[in-house]
Amino acid sequence: MLANVFAKTLRDRWRGWAIASGVTGFFIVLGMAAYQGIDMSVMDTFPEAYRSLLGLSTGMDAGALAISAIYGSYGALTVASMALGMGASAIAGEERKGTLGLLLGCPKSRTHVLVSKMAVLVLLSAFATSVMWAFSAATPGVLDINIGDMNIAALSIHMFASTVFYGLFATAIGAATGNRGAAIGVTVGVLVLGFLGAGLLPMLKGGEDWVKVFPWYYFNGTDPLNNGVDWSHLGILLGAAALLAGVAVVGLNRRDLKAQSVGVTMLDRLRANPLTRKLADKLAGTARVSSIWLKTASEHQIALTAACAYLIYVQLLLGWFYTAIPQETFAVFDQLPESMGAMFALFGGGDVTTPAGWFQIETFGMMAPVMIMIVTISIGANALAGEESRRTMGLLLANPITRSRIIIEKAITMVVFAAVVGVAAFLGTWGGVLIGDMGIPVENIAAVCILLTLLGIAGGALALAIGAATGRKSAAIWGAAGTAITLHLLNSLGMMSDSLAGVQKLSPFYYYLGSDPLNNGMDWSHAAILAVIAAVLFVAAIPLFQRRDIRQRD
Amino acid sequence: MSDTSAIRTEGLTKHYGKVEALNDLDLDIRAGEVFGFLGPNGAGKTTTIRTMMDEIRATRGSATILGMDTHAKSVEIRKYIGYLPGDLAMYPNLTGKDTITYYANLRGGVDWKHVDALADRLDADLSKKVGDLSSGNRQKVGLIQAFMSTPQVLIMDEPSTGLDPLVQRELQKMMREVADEGRTVFLSSHTLSEVQRVADRVGIIRHGHLVALETVHALRAKAMRQVELELDKPADVSVFEAIDGVSDVKAQNNHVLMTFGGDMGTLLKAVEGRYAIVDISTQSADLEEIFLTYYQDEEASA
Repeated sequence: MLANVFAKTLRDRWRGWAIASGVTGFFIVLGMAAYQGIDMSVMDTFPEAYRSLLGLSTGMDAGALAISAIYGSYGALTVASMALGMGASAIAGEERKGTLGLLLGCPKSRTHVLVSKMAVLVLLSAFATSVMWAFSAATPGVLDINIGDMNIAALSIHMFASTVFYGLFATAIGAATGNRGAAIGVTVGVLVLGFLGAGLLPMLKGGEDWVKVFPWYYFNGTDPLNNGVDWSHLGILLGAAALLAGVAVVGLNRRDLKAQSVGVTMLDRLRANPLTRKLADKLAGTARVSSIWLKTASEHQIALTAACAYLIYVQLLLGWFYTAIPQETFAVFDQLPESMGAMFALFGGGDVTTPAGWFQIETFGMMAPVMIMIVTISIGANALAGEESRRTMGLLLANPITRSRIIIEKAITMVVFAAVVGVAAFLGTWGGVLIGDMGIPVENIAAVCILLTLLGIAGGALALAIGAATGRKSAAIWGAAGTAITLHLLNSLGMMSDSLAGVQKLSPFYYYLGSDPLNNGMDWSHAAILAVIAAVLFVAAIPLFQRRDIRQRD
Repeated sequence: MSDTSAIRTEGLTKHYGKVEALNDLDLDIRAGEVFGFLGPNGAGKTTTIRTMMDEIRATRGSATILGMDTHAKSVEIRKYIGYLPGDLAMYPNLTGKDTITYYANLRGGVDWKHVDALADRLDADLSKKVGDLSSGNRQKVGLIQAFMSTPQVLIMDEPSTGLDPLVQRELQKMMREVADEGRTVFLSSHTLSEVQRVADRVGIIRHGHLVALETVHALRAKAMRQVELELDKPADVSVFEAIDGVSDVKAQNNHVLMTFGGDMGTLLKAVEGRYAIVDISTQSADLEEIFLTYYQDEEASA
């Protein structure tokens, strides 16, 4: 074992795993607290498709619901994502960064390096599942929840095997091809298809056998939480993982290492092809570099596409679900206890039995702001601080342009992209409303989407201003995201308690959904407040940036 | 606008907290010269350049380029400047051509024939992505963008980093051409050979202080030389050691070898009368040695 590669990999990676498993553990506790005392029969009336997606089985009690829903699906997905990200980077990531050459310049074999990295992956998988197991096992005692004879340990063991499997799956692809993007893409595909397929296929006739092709099936196909460890399934997962480790070792040893490189995109291929060269050149070359704002736009297409696709897809799906869920299910929500209301407040609040509340809780309350801010904060943080940490700001500023023009052009990109996300949310919601025949007026949908856009711009403007003041990208990202989360919580707390209602108005989130735009339409004064917040932050960024020395190093 | 000064700094000082990166730098660089700015790593060369480019702001003092203040008129100045930063970084996902186009657009256009000619001279491939280029080939893209606007003042920080000797020589030719056209080159470097070849004047900086400012010619004249004399009788070491500017005297029979800095006439006059000189040979020192001498002097006084 190569102790130093092992130690360095562990040092680089443990924090991410600790945060991911800690946060998931926290949500498990929160979920159990919120679900405590709910009459479980409600869940049995959910349509089969919805319950499968959530990982629920009939006759479960409240604690099991939280553990199964949060630990068994979100927790498992979270650690699997951590594992595949780490696995894909193990070899291919170092190749891409150009650091592998130096590492292998030391008198150690490729196999040694790879095995050390895989050992860390296994260790961290065990660590993360242990953390979540500890949260799940300890909470029922503390909160006095009866979880019956659920076998949390069995679920954890299955999750460990599954996490290792996905991590080594990505490692094998990355090690054998040197292509980090392919390793992540293929593994995410297998993970998501398996997650959806294992949930939905059993409901179709003849689907029970097909489901066995998905690795996810061997994780919770036998419901280890209720039925205990299935050793044959566990053996299949771990056997496959060992096989993948072998593939990784053999693959890495047989091929040429890649030099440091940038990825080849679809557009690059089109540019190389004589048939499409002219058009692609216009798109990729001429247009992309014709101005600062268009260049900035070209750098954030992936985040924009992902956010738009998510919002359109989810909103359409929610419209369909609304028709699929029996109305008597909704009736039960009227009798929900107070604690459940607190849970909903975190997701933006609202009455789930109305179409507006349904969208508010499922999307607009939390996921829509998250999606739009991923785009705007990413643009804002990269605008100045990103160019500084990549050391490209020096050459950019060598041109006869003012520093304020750079800020203005990058702010334009942010506003345009936020508007595009807003339009996508509008189209998705509008489509969902039509599918579900939910009768929300189209101008109200427009109102909430405009407010969403403004909220997103305000978040991005904060990231831009922090970046302008510090030149540090991580400060900009975490400063803006942390502030957003804090203000969101402040707003949620205000919703739950009357004594905090005044404090709530300090949060921009109040001016986003506080006027209940899906039911009441546009509140222009709220829109104006959000616009002013964004404008003030943009304007503040200019002197902050102009006054400062450009950083040379990160 | 002053007609002779291309770049002028007065008491230029930059402190980072307690670190004194640059101290009271006074420079006056004339239009039409190649100015070599020499110093070891961390001497303050890049700090000087970044201050001139208004990337960072002076703690004290000021700098002007073409008679304009580098801070107050920075945007106007940059119309006339070509800049190559040290430790060049560009956008890895853009091709060389995209990169040039981007900066050309920000400058309001460029003569593409000139760009192609530059690419030809430097043997640069502009069709590949910058991130896929070797560091030398990436440097060529940076050089093209610095030269492409036919700037009045070219400021370059370690421009020959990563270039092969042939391209280095071509670059030196290009710098001379710029100066011959009456334009100005500010060349920062830690390698003397190229400065020796192209520069008219040299400033040597160490620990943020300017320790020498001379023409390359004058520096050479000041150089310590190895002098070997063949005399008519055995030499007395103490006689030579007493002469001003002489050190490291070694005598062997009629031969004496010494290191001498100063006017050759003084040496000959001192020897005259005591010895008859049969033969004399001198070896003039490389600029490299002067350079090292300056470093050592500074080190001794520090």
